[in-house]
Amino acid sequence: MIADIWFGLIAFSLMMYVVLDGYDLGIGIASLFERNRERRTEKVEIVATAWDGNESWIILMAVALWGGLPEAFGALLPAIYLPIIVMLFGIILRGAAIELSVSLRSDAWITVFGIGSLIVAIAQGFAIGGVLQGISHDDGVFNGGTWDFLSWYSVLTAVATVAVYVVAGAAFGQLKSEGESARAARRLGLSTLLVGIPIVAVTAIWSMDLLPQQLTGGRVVLFWALVVVAVIATAATIWGFRSGPDAAAMVGVVVAEISGMLALVVGMVPIVVPPDMTISEAAAPHSALTFLLVGIGLNVPLVLFYNWYAHHVFRGKYRPVEERPAGVTQAGWAMRAGGERASDEQEVRS
Amino acid sequence: MGLAAPSDLMLDVSRWQFAFTIAFHMTFPAITVGLSVFLAATYAMFMRTHKPIYLQIFRFWKKIFAVGFALGVVAGTVITFEFGLNWGPFAAATGPILGPIIGMEVVTAFFLEAGFVGVMLYGDGRVKERTMLICCSLVALGTILSTTWILSANSWMQTPAGYRFEDGQFVPENWWQVIFNPSFAWRFPHMLLAVLIAAALLIAGVAAYYLVRGRAREFARRTFSVALGVLALLLPIQLFVGDNIALQYIVPHQLPKLEALEGNWDSTNTGYQLLVIPDQDGQQNLWELSVPWFGSAIGAKDLSGNTPVPGLAMTPPEDQPNMTASFYGFRAMFYGSMLIFIVAFGSVVLRLRRRLYRATWFHKLVMWLTPVGVIAIIGGWVTAEAGRQPWVVYGQMRTEDGVSQLSEGAVIGSFVGFLLIYLTLFAVWLWYVIRQVKRGPEDVSVDEIDPDPDPVRGSVAEPSTPVTP
Ligand code: HDD
Ligand code: HEM
Ligand code: HEM
Repeated sequence: MIADIWFGLIAFSLMMYVVLDGYDLGIGIASLFERNRERRTEKVEIVATAWDGNESWIILMAVALWGGLPEAFGALLPAIYLPIIVMLFGIILRGAAIELSVSLRSDAWITVFGIGSLIVAIAQGFAIGGVLQGISHDDGVFNGGTWDFLSWYSVLTAVATVAVYVVAGAAFGQLKSEGESARAARRLGLSTLLVGIPIVAVTAIWSMDLLPQQLTGGRVVLFWALVVVAVIATAATIWGFRSGPDAAAMVGVVVAEISGMLALVVGMVPIVVPPDMTISEAAAPHSALTFLLVGIGLNVPLVLFYNWYAHHVFRGKYRPVEERPAGVTQAGWAMRAGGERASDEQEVRS
Repeated sequence: MGLAAPSDLMLDVSRWQFAFTIAFHMTFPAITVGLSVFLAATYAMFMRTHKPIYLQIFRFWKKIFAVGFALGVVAGTVITFEFGLNWGPFAAATGPILGPIIGMEVVTAFFLEAGFVGVMLYGDGRVKERTMLICCSLVALGTILSTTWILSANSWMQTPAGYRFEDGQFVPENWWQVIFNPSFAWRFPHMLLAVLIAAALLIAGVAAYYLVRGRAREFARRTFSVALGVLALLLPIQLFVGDNIALQYIVPHQLPKLEALEGNWDSTNTGYQLLVIPDQDGQQNLWELSVPWFGSAIGAKDLSGNTPVPGLAMTPPEDQPNMTASFYGFRAMFYGSMLIFIVAFGSVVLRLRRRLYRATWFHKLVMWLTPVGVIAIIGGWVTAEAGRQPWVVYGQMRTEDGVSQLSEGAVIGSFVGFLLIYLTLFAVWLWYVIRQVKRGPEDVSVDEIDPDPDPVRGSVAEPSTPVTP
């Protein structure tokens, strides 16, 4: 029971990660298609103020899995060794590139930031596919091969992941910018959806075949309800990019991401490591789970507050940079919500 | 010894990869923890005095902090995953203990730093001064909490306590004993002091460079004086704590580590080994350079010089750590701390004689010793980690039993990838720091500082209690 609650927290961390880091990886990938120097810089700075907090969710997810379901952690990671290692390479390059490009005002590092983001997205897609198609283990010890993760299915999940992240990045970019930047974001969002929707749909249908649980009884209802929500949210996203208010696309993407992941969970629980390892088999002893639930569970609201605060301080849209004073970053110079200028409230004036 | 069997090679590469990636990670916390404290203090000074010099210091070091912090974060993320990737069986066995501890680190420390570092780095001109100070302080608090939890986790692996072993897993029984395990009480202060010392030396070294060059005088004098003051205060404490690590924890809990780091095989030497060339297979030293009496005096605490230092041959070969790694890791730290001691002591003497800003030879010395704190830290960790082999959980689980069954190609490939990326980034980072230092701190114009920091109340200084006439 307590292990099931803990599994809920792991799934929650994964969703927070996909929602938050999804958009900033997407912005990174989008920067690869942007030629205008100012707008490339703007993209890095949108990410620079929040990437660390966004990325912390994947660390929490990994550690929550390690502490709460150690057998699953020990079996899963060796099975997807290569995709995870490559993902780490991407994370390293990208994190270094963000601070270096801002600090050095260097365009070359923005390219590294974009490539790193693309690598992370592709690698995560392969990892997800590799896990969903099932891993071979002997009583919790991985005994398959290095390339087991690679299949047509995982190629498809990789492409689908990139598409979802780019759409999320475009939606966030639209939210944070105005003028030509916002129009470019809308265009990118729409064209990615055009190719992305069929790919994600095929991936979803194929996944239903692979999911370890038979979709019967209550599961069927829940599963299809979530699929319907995801479809509606996707429609809302399209509307948001075409003509809706600036926030609509972002809301649509987030709802679609969450309902998609919940549908996967419905098709899996209580299996955590496909094809057959269950939550209770993988669970840590009671004394560990209690500590986790109290110690970490109680901290989650605080953690959510930190995340909210980091976004709240830098709320508002990025403006064209002409009148920005030296030493103040674009993020610092962004407009506050409601349209007033940042300088109205600032104290260290220039 | 013949050719290593395939799985031996895999084990060795996994170990090298872990050691290399964590040493790379360690390089950055070694300076960012101390820098974050320094930045928060500098900003507090700026708020109190509104002198441009403090803003100048803050902005200069903030830039160096930012890139180091980012590298520390991404390199730390790598390590978390490596526990499962390369050490799957270890992760499955220790998960119930180490997972919750590091999980607490994630929620109390990592998220705290991550949430507020954005404001600290990019909030200039956007948030109130007070908000800025709070954010800087929270980042500093986060780095210290991070040090606390991770030292607890690592200390549990050195001196496991408060658990029972059941079905191949470590099951926590008493969390108090797990977290405050026997070695934590000494190792945590030692580590915290170490990172503060390393950062202080870095700050002093950069200031010394400006003093030698005669540039940025005001900036150089202030930071030189503060950093050396901190060093002079902390170093004596560190020598005391370090000595107690050996006496209170290594001798009772991990004697083979002490034998290895002192560099003796048989237990007859009363001298102190300055340099050795060990031959692990032959269980002897091929060459050694030893100072008579000293080993007995500081190693065994017998001033009469008659007590020999225990040798590694007391431990059966299959339970011995590698002497070369333990010995030279320890010597790097020990000789490093002697050099830092000279700096700290010298600064006190010069300060008393009012020559701190004029003694050019001293400035040059400090300048050349800039990286020694970081080197001592890496050396200390090599001692701690290599000296506890062959155990990954001391006395309970051997490193070779913790390794994942991966293909050799995969592990060699990932190691080569890490080598390429990390060595490149390290070079870039060094270039970046040197470039920033050479450029020097940027001037802060006076009109950039608001003489009227509180637009609502409209007065700079407001009496806290109303003065009754
Ligand atoms: C929470 C745990 C933890 C912490 C804080 C550290 N280590 Fe560690 N270290 C391990 C957990 C660990 C480990 C998982 O237990 C390893 C991997 C394999 C092994 O033998 O122990 C290890 C091995 C290991 C080795 C290889 C030893 C050998 O195989 O002979 C070295 C040189 C280091 N580490 C160095 C460091 C450094 C420089 C650290 C500074 C940050 C550090 N360790 C912190
Ligand atoms: C095996 C040991 C270690 C692991 C698993 C580990 C893990 C991590 C992770 C995942 C991060 C990134 C967190 C983020 O996103 O903000 C990180 C950063 C950090 N770690 Fe470690 N770490 C280890 C050793 C240490 C040690 C020994 C210290 C003590 C001084 C330390 C101090 C820090 C600090 C201060 C940060 C913040 C970023 C920085 O400045 O580098 N870590 N670590
Ligand atoms: C004379 C002074 C010192 C003595 C006797 C001393 C002693 C020790 C010993 C015995 C260890 C091994 C602990 C273990 O096995 O876990 C250690 C570890 C370490 N030392 Fe020192 N030390 C001294 C000074 C320093 C200084 C000046 C620094 C850094 C600036 C430093 C940094 C470290 C670090 C980072 C570790 C590894 C972390 C740990 O194990 O707690 N030490 N020290």
